[in-house]
Amino acid sequence: MAHKKNRNVGIIGIGQTKHSSHREDVNQPEMIHEAVSLALKDANLTMNDIDCVVHGNMELFEMVHQPDMWHVLGTGAYGKDCIRITTGGTVGATLSCASDNLVASGMYDIVMAIGFEKLQEGHTTAGITNMADPLWFRKIQAGALTGSSAYDVEREFGLERANRASLTYRIIMDKHAGLNPNAHRAFGLEFSQIDDLIKSSPKLVGELKLIEMCSQSDGACCVIYACEKKAKEMSKNPVWIRDHITAHKEETFTIFGYNREFPVMKTHKFAAEQLFRRNDIKDPLNYFDVFEMYDPASWWAIDWLRDFFDMKGDEHLKLIEEKEIMIGGKMPINPSGGVIGSNPIGATALIRVAEAALQVRGNAGGHQIPTPVNHALASGFGGTMWTVMTMLEKELNW
Amino acid sequence: MAEYWGIKVEDIFNTMKDRFRPDGAKGVDAVFGYDIKDEGKWKLTVNNNVMKIEKTDDLSNCVSVMKADGETFVGVNTGKVDATNAFMGGKVKVDGDMAAFGKTGKLFRKFVIAKKEMSTKEYLVDMFATVVPRFKAGESEGVDASFAFDLGGPDGGKWTVFIRNKECSVTETIEGKPSVTLEFNDAKDYVDFILGKIDAQSLLAAGRASAKGDINMMQTKWPVLFDKYKDPVGSSVPEQELLVLKKTISVNQKYATGPVMGKFLKGLKDKKIFGNKCTKCGRIQLPPREVCAECRVRAGDFLEVGPKGEVRYMDIVYYAMPDPLTGIARETPYGGINVLLDGCKGNETLPHFIRRDQIEKIQMGWNEKKGTRVRPVWEENRIGDIWDIKYFEIDE
Amino acid sequence: MGKRMAICAVAQIKNDPEYRHLRFQNMLLECFESIMGQTKVTFDMEKGIRTIITCSDDVFDARTISNNGITDVVGAHFRGEEKMAQESINGLGYGMACILSGHDDVILFMGHCKESQGESRRMATNLSYDPFYSRPLGMDFQNVDALQARAYMEKSGVTDEHLAKIVVRSRKNAAKNPYARENKLVDEKEVMNSPMYADPLRELHVYPVTDWAYGMLLCCEERAKEFTKNPVWITGYGSCMDRYFLGDRDLSSNFSLKNAAKRAYDKAGVRDPKKDVQLFELSDHAAHQLPMWAEGVGIADEGKGGKWIDDGGMDKFSVNLSGGQLNGNPLLLGGAARAIECYYQLTGQAGERQVKGAKRAVAQAATGGAGQHQAVIVMEA
Repeated sequence: MAHKKNRNVGIIGIGQTKHSSHREDVNQPEMIHEAVSLALKDANLTMNDIDCVVHGNMELFEMVHQPDMWHVLGTGAYGKDCIRITTGGTVGATLSCASDNLVASGMYDIVMAIGFEKLQEGHTTAGITNMADPLWFRKIQAGALTGSSAYDVEREFGLERANRASLTYRIIMDKHAGLNPNAHRAFGLEFSQIDDLIKSSPKLVGELKLIEMCSQSDGACCVIYACEKKAKEMSKNPVWIRDHITAHKEETFTIFGYNREFPVMKTHKFAAEQLFRRNDIKDPLNYFDVFEMYDPASWWAIDWLRDFFDMKGDEHLKLIEEKEIMIGGKMPINPSGGVIGSNPIGATALIRVAEAALQVRGNAGGHQIPTPVNHALASGFGGTMWTVMTMLEKELNW
Repeated sequence: MAEYWGIKVEDIFNTMKDRFRPDGAKGVDAVFGYDIKDEGKWKLTVNNNVMKIEKTDDLSNCVSVMKADGETFVGVNTGKVDATNAFMGGKVKVDGDMAAFGKTGKLFRKFVIAKKEMSTKEYLVDMFATVVPRFKAGESEGVDASFAFDLGGPDGGKWTVFIRNKECSVTETIEGKPSVTLEFNDAKDYVDFILGKIDAQSLLAAGRASAKGDINMMQTKWPVLFDKYKDPVGSSVPEQELLVLKKTISVNQKYATGPVMGKFLKGLKDKKIFGNKCTKCGRIQLPPREVCAECRVRAGDFLEVGPKGEVRYMDIVYYAMPDPLTGIARETPYGGINVLLDGCKGNETLPHFIRRDQIEKIQMGWNEKKGTRVRPVWEENRIGDIWDIKYFEIDE
Repeated sequence: MGKRMAICAVAQIKNDPEYRHLRFQNMLLECFESIMGQTKVTFDMEKGIRTIITCSDDVFDARTISNNGITDVVGAHFRGEEKMAQESINGLGYGMACILSGHDDVILFMGHCKESQGESRRMATNLSYDPFYSRPLGMDFQNVDALQARAYMEKSGVTDEHLAKIVVRSRKNAAKNPYARENKLVDEKEVMNSPMYADPLRELHVYPVTDWAYGMLLCCEERAKEFTKNPVWITGYGSCMDRYFLGDRDLSSNFSLKNAAKRAYDKAGVRDPKKDVQLFELSDHAAHQLPMWAEGVGIADEGKGGKWIDDGGMDKFSVNLSGGQLNGNPLLLGGAARAIECYYQLTGQAGERQVKGAKRAVAQAATGGAGQHQAVIVMEA
């Protein structure tokens, strides 16, 4: 049983900037233009081929209202259909879903999605805090920083194992980022540093340490989507979008359970279950060849792996401890280095889709998985535990 | 003493006095230590806008001590190494008061690497060594040519640059029959010509240089085939300064509270904490919401809960979070707590803060374990705001 | 899958200068409950609403991710929710994409804005310009609309008297619309004597600050009958982006609107809007935009806006019988207000404003200063 779709949609072009905290050399539209040019070059197209531009980010990070107006200088949307759709940190993934919908509907043949953020132009943590209710929680929250995931893992598996799993995950991401020239942060960490980093890395909140939290980056990503007919005509290696799902959660911050008898349903788990059920994926851990996961901090990442793949007990920790999530492992997670490596928020979730697609195409470069990638998964995270998941396929055979 | 990028660790310390910025030292009264691996220890004293730096063995009275190896230390101070990356990756460590150490960042002007002069010989070596990396293979489709350079004078020499099959190679001789040969009487003129200090026309006119063979190839093809040579000592044209426009944007707002949040906030004014209960599933929302998101129905009656309760979770926040409404950083560490107020169950907790000096004593509750009992401490003048509760404290 | 999308139900609260006693959550909840009551739609993962599209704005809400605080009141808990961050009319275009793609059968589309909350909407729209050049020069949507007004009036023979006539008529029409903002009826003299905001635009030439929220239920062709006996169909949508710098644009050219209209008309099979469409709702943020957009959608001749008004074009083509944006809708939501008026007309529920036998309507709305981005939808009974 496949999810019904009016017509198939393929990714035919991918471009992203180098993600960095030092992009004083370009303004916002100029930075976007870099990604747009790279995507067009990748697809061997010009702006004349694009029917519609989809733009997204979060306005208050840079304090630009309806930025698609100014950014037309860099997006190339002049004279074209253009829409702006946003969610939260998920926005990049939402841009991908929207582009898929716009093409699949038959309304447009070729659509370009652009996600960007210049986080150095504002105060990121204050920007995130500004999403809370101004009447009360805004005065209490500390951005996206919380130690609650660490506490959850620690309570279940003990502090030492939890800490080591988190740092192992972190160092794997760093090693992946070292292979990806676009990654913002690649420190050259070694597994031998785990004990040292547990002690020396400054704590932000609870057990959440600076080394475990994602960066604040400037960067842009652009992905081009085409209908099946055009994708086959124009591209040697289109990557097909099979399905996507979005699940939001109420604003109230009951994101983990305070009592075993009152379990909290998680959006990641819910979205994954729904998506896999309607696509008849019985064993996702075996089905997918790579997973680009939105991992804002290593604690969340290790906890979420269990939700996405419906793993039992400590299977998820073992997967990390045995380094099966590394390139070459059983389920490579974030060959790109992930969000911990680069986080231009409005682009971040689109980069997950883009990087997953690069893996399917087989030309990701230094961080390409050596074995064939036929089925890829990408996730987005944002808001108060919102989820977007996207399934990519190499062949049109589901 | 090892040198990094031509600079010794000592150079950084010895120039501190000249680089000191009294502006940046306002309100700083502290002793900082530097422990540089295999190089030694230094002590920096800052007091009353005056500084003193000394080499020492004793860093015991320092408020914080920075530890790094020589290369990292020089790199961070000269901008060759990204300071955040070095810190995050564990190459720079700070013992003691992290926040105090942060102030040293503003104490000094940046260390600027003195410009080193390069000799004609060094330039020639560099110019021909970078020919291959500067070659743009993509532009060389169908080009089969060789460019010879015959440069005279005491520093001179001979070179040939070959381009064939979209590949570039260089020899330190002149071989075969070059497509074009450039001759300079003095190699220094060639260096100045490449650096843009002198133009080709005047050299040719003065008879100090000549070209043989396919001159057109040299004039039109070479600039396309190769990236321009970059002067490693710095170009004669100053680099453009990248300006950053700094601006604080604020638009005043008046947030309506509505009948639901309004009731909650009014309650605080009267030292009462109101939640509301879903008519369908019975869960209590705290603070109250307009609807129960799970049942998608309008939330029902208000009911008073607490004011005392049990801590179920606490975040100890070390990160100096700026208050988004005032911009002032909160004092750290502080404890953000989720309290299960009396009359609530399960996940129906209220987030707030705990008294700062009690963080260490808080126990988080779970099924088998009771959390610390706490009570709200009310503000004297209450205005209907979440801060009408100053914080919670242990209920003893 | 079909080629058109149904609107099965609409809901709104009255446009108001300031809902002091309501948060936007309360405003949305009224609309949400109304849609649920009218249609009995569910949130079942197979047959019900899986996707909610909202429309709101971070700067006007003074909230990062303005859709974060409304998840519960739009029913989006554990469902998909995506925010149209441009003019709400584009939410209908995007809803159409979700449904025609097959990804969704049923979509809830909701929007809110409390323009009264911020100290100044001009401070908000000033932020839409680049911080280096246009922002310090004082560009905001009102000033830029005024530059456009000067250029357009010069070109099309539209005079201060014409603008006054448009405002007087807008308020008269709105008085017959129970959901319209309650404004004082004015005469032409009052309009022409109202304070100058940005020459040539006066206070009464510009839409007033307004709070509003709405909801709509969108559905695929096959299942529309489950929710209503009287669906209204969206058969065409098109949008277009113009250049950014004002000096790069001809402000009086209607470049983006003509493109957007053509794209929507082509999809809906509208050949001559003057004959094929019985009703037009245009988002006139300022009075001069009514004749200007009328030229753009093809019911007034190019450069003849003044004469078109003199010839009774506004009533002849049934333009803005709701009162239009000019009478007051929040900036981002005018397009939804236009579409809702068309829905009432096409289902015969427009009361005193009813256009007899209306079968096809056009709604238009713009995002940005001087209509930099334009979008048009075609609706049919």
